[in-house]
Amino acid sequence: MKKNNYLKNPYVQFILFGLVLATLPIMAQTFPFIKSGYIITIGGTLIYAIAALGLNLLLGYSGLISLGTAGFMGLAAYISAYLTVDLGWPFLASMAVAVIIPTIIGILVGLVSLKIEGMYLAIATLAVSEVIRKTFEEFDFFTNGFSGKAAKFPSFFNISLDRATTYYLIVIVMVLVMILMYNMVNGQLGRALNAMRGSEAASQAMGVNLLKYRLIAFAFATAFAALSGVLYVHFVRYSYPSIWSLKLSLDFLAMIVIGGLRSIYGTVLGAFIIFAVPDLFLKQIPYFNQLSYMFNGILIILVIMFYPNGIVYLRYDIKKWWKKIFDRKGKVNHDVG
Amino acid sequence: MSIFLQLLLRSLETGSVYALAALGIIIVYRTSNITNFSQGVVSMFSTFVVTALFINTGMPLWLAILGGVASAITVGMLIDFIVIRHTKKVSPVAKQIITLGLIMVVLGITPLFFGVDPLTLPRLINAGDLKILGANISYNGLFNIVFGLVLMFVLFYVLQNTKWGLAVRTTASNEYTARLMGVPTKTVTMFAWGIAGVLGVFSGVMVAPMTSVSLNLMDQVQINALIACVLGGFQTFYGPIFAAYMIGISANLLSYYVSSVWGGQILYIVILAFLIFRPHGLFGKKIIKKV
Amino acid sequence: MMLDNEVLKIDGLSIAFGGLKAVDNLSFSIKENEIFGLIGPNGAGKTTVFNCITQFYKPNAGSLLFRDRKGEVQELTRHKVHEIIRLGLVRTFQNVELIRELSLIDNVLVGGHIDFKSTVFEQALKLPRAVKEEKALRIEAEDILRRLGIYDRKDMIAFGQPYGILKKVEFARTLMSHPKLIILDEPAAGLNDVETLQLAQMIRQIRDEFQCSILLVEHDMRLVMDVCDRICAINFGQFLAIGSAKEIQRNPAVQQAYLGNSEEEQHEKDSTVH
Repeated sequence: MKKNNYLKNPYVQFILFGLVLATLPIMAQTFPFIKSGYIITIGGTLIYAIAALGLNLLLGYSGLISLGTAGFMGLAAYISAYLTVDLGWPFLASMAVAVIIPTIIGILVGLVSLKIEGMYLAIATLAVSEVIRKTFEEFDFFTNGFSGKAAKFPSFFNISLDRATTYYLIVIVMVLVMILMYNMVNGQLGRALNAMRGSEAASQAMGVNLLKYRLIAFAFATAFAALSGVLYVHFVRYSYPSIWSLKLSLDFLAMIVIGGLRSIYGTVLGAFIIFAVPDLFLKQIPYFNQLSYMFNGILIILVIMFYPNGIVYLRYDIKKWWKKIFDRKGKVNHDVG
Repeated sequence: MSIFLQLLLRSLETGSVYALAALGIIIVYRTSNITNFSQGVVSMFSTFVVTALFINTGMPLWLAILGGVASAITVGMLIDFIVIRHTKKVSPVAKQIITLGLIMVVLGITPLFFGVDPLTLPRLINAGDLKILGANISYNGLFNIVFGLVLMFVLFYVLQNTKWGLAVRTTASNEYTARLMGVPTKTVTMFAWGIAGVLGVFSGVMVAPMTSVSLNLMDQVQINALIACVLGGFQTFYGPIFAAYMIGISANLLSYYVSSVWGGQILYIVILAFLIFRPHGLFGKKIIKKV
Repeated sequence: MMLDNEVLKIDGLSIAFGGLKAVDNLSFSIKENEIFGLIGPNGAGKTTVFNCITQFYKPNAGSLLFRDRKGEVQELTRHKVHEIIRLGLVRTFQNVELIRELSLIDNVLVGGHIDFKSTVFEQALKLPRAVKEEKALRIEAEDILRRLGIYDRKDMIAFGQPYGILKKVEFARTLMSHPKLIILDEPAAGLNDVETLQLAQMIRQIRDEFQCSILLVEHDMRLVMDVCDRICAINFGQFLAIGSAKEIQRNPAVQQAYLGNSEEEQHEKDSTVH
């Protein structure tokens, strides 16, 4: 009885999830069919999931579309790379600055969002991202331009990490982010954001200060994207301007729409579907790139038409079908008996 | 002075491209209530059709373009028929995301049809340059400007003075009421997608000779067309067109006189700042909410 | 300026939209613990009046005095729309703007938004103050749901609940803020006769148990006449009459506004028959 309750605790579930993910490097060493390259893929997926969680806070809960996620992620990546490599700063300090600066810009965009809404806002964020991407190409001294910028695995408290240990760090950060997000969206903040999304007038009548909560949404979304950018550049160990394109921002959108709006596990699922599955399985097929584009696109369209809130809610339908089969079996037994 | 004039004429040409693309976006927006992010890539696809026809069958360019127009109308209507029609119950945000899904589908399909290498599409008129008041403008460029304007005038004439145009404007104003009054809104919407496709293929064919026909052909045009709609306001048909020309002109002027690298970006920042003061664009109207 | 037993005093309220006067020099006042009705034919400006009161629109002229939860007199036009609820003035929505994806109790907790003092960080890290607050407010929300008779549904998702239940949840939401004045926006819309009677009962119950005034903006005449202590009638944004239900029913100006010149027509008919 007690064990049952223990497993139902969401925090326990998050930690168990993290532990499962953390076994990957060990499994890669033990089983030959799990290649060590998978660590990069799964690590990358988790990194994307962190940024996507931020976007989910913005779009899923607050109803604000941003097409600028990639720009902020890239900015943080470059800042951290520059600070650690060029200026020799310690990792933790660089991470802090690399998260803070984009967050401030994100808050400025949030200020703008009070005046500009809906599609206008989405396109405005697109313009901001384009400006940021241009700086990646042009500010050579900072980003090395088109040649790309290199960085190293993180090191702090006199420990230098390698690929496997950086992966563990990513898993830990992701679980922490999931827990933080869970706390936020299930409390006053989550309710206020949902109210704002449902009806601005009603939420204002209930005392929700739209400006304050929009800024909070943008701040957290950008902070998560920045955090993810820092992890990216210190795990993959390079950054090119072309990575931080509109297409990446669209991929994040796809992750949360397909995986599940307003769902934490759904977002991770979405990241796996959009990034890990093609990378792991479909690479063998010819024309893989084009097919995976098409596959993702068709998936988005189908999911919106039939599961507008994301695939993760498929589990409710599965439960229903399971129950139907279960009940039918019971009925048959009854008749026979 | 002549440089200024030259820049201006060049800008009118770029402006035409943006204007046609923006008009495509706004027509779909006002009839289906969707901001069609896929307008750019679909135009790119149609331009590939034109180029493939031209290169592979040796037919004259103008005929290939007609072929592209036919394909654009078909593709546009197909998109409406297969996808958009079934999204009535979907939230506006989700509709937008469908168009993003469309982008991915088209980006995947195009290389399967046409291969991965960039292709070249020549200009329609190769006759050389015209000199006006000391400024150079190619005959092709002049043709593009004039053709663009004529096409838009024709569209506006149809919109204002024909029964079909009235049907479109009624649907654009309020789809539900239009349907209640007997306007065949489903046909109007399909028609609008078809027209958007045509506008797209023309803007693609105008841009293609300046660069090469590849997957990113319309990326910059798409972004600028969207910004034109934002700047001009989504509430009118003429707003985004005016804004598109303004963007074409300002971008070029800024690039030349201020900074060749940052010209475009400065323009974006200026437009963003402008939006803060006029959040509904140059010609947008604020809708007072009723609660 | 304001009498001791008044909770809301409107004086010379005017607002125009693009040249059209929606509300024109309207004045009335609502007493403490009073159920006050605002009626008028379609387009009379009732909605605009209370949108002005709640500061969703900023009036062009007039003063809106309100005695807040602490007993101080406030000029409403000096406050922003999201600050109004803090003063103790709250409204319901005709379209029942609840959050479909949340549970009933979570929807009610939205009404307690202003009572949360902990910051986002405290909530994210589940620090003690945030946990305590959430718990206390949740207990309060449960209590209100119990008093309105829908406690057993508290964890059900709002989506799919019967309309009558959702209406009660909306009431519960307004009560979370300890209001002194609740503006009800056409609460009888979509209810049948039986449900309307229950609504009347609930309105009285809320006024008695929660010690607040209610401004009822309604079309349904039976509900208004049944439950209101006093009624103000308006037309074309202008004041017509104010008084008890009986007085309003007999008022010729009110009759004309709703029914046209029917009294005179009746006389003519009578005379021609002769």
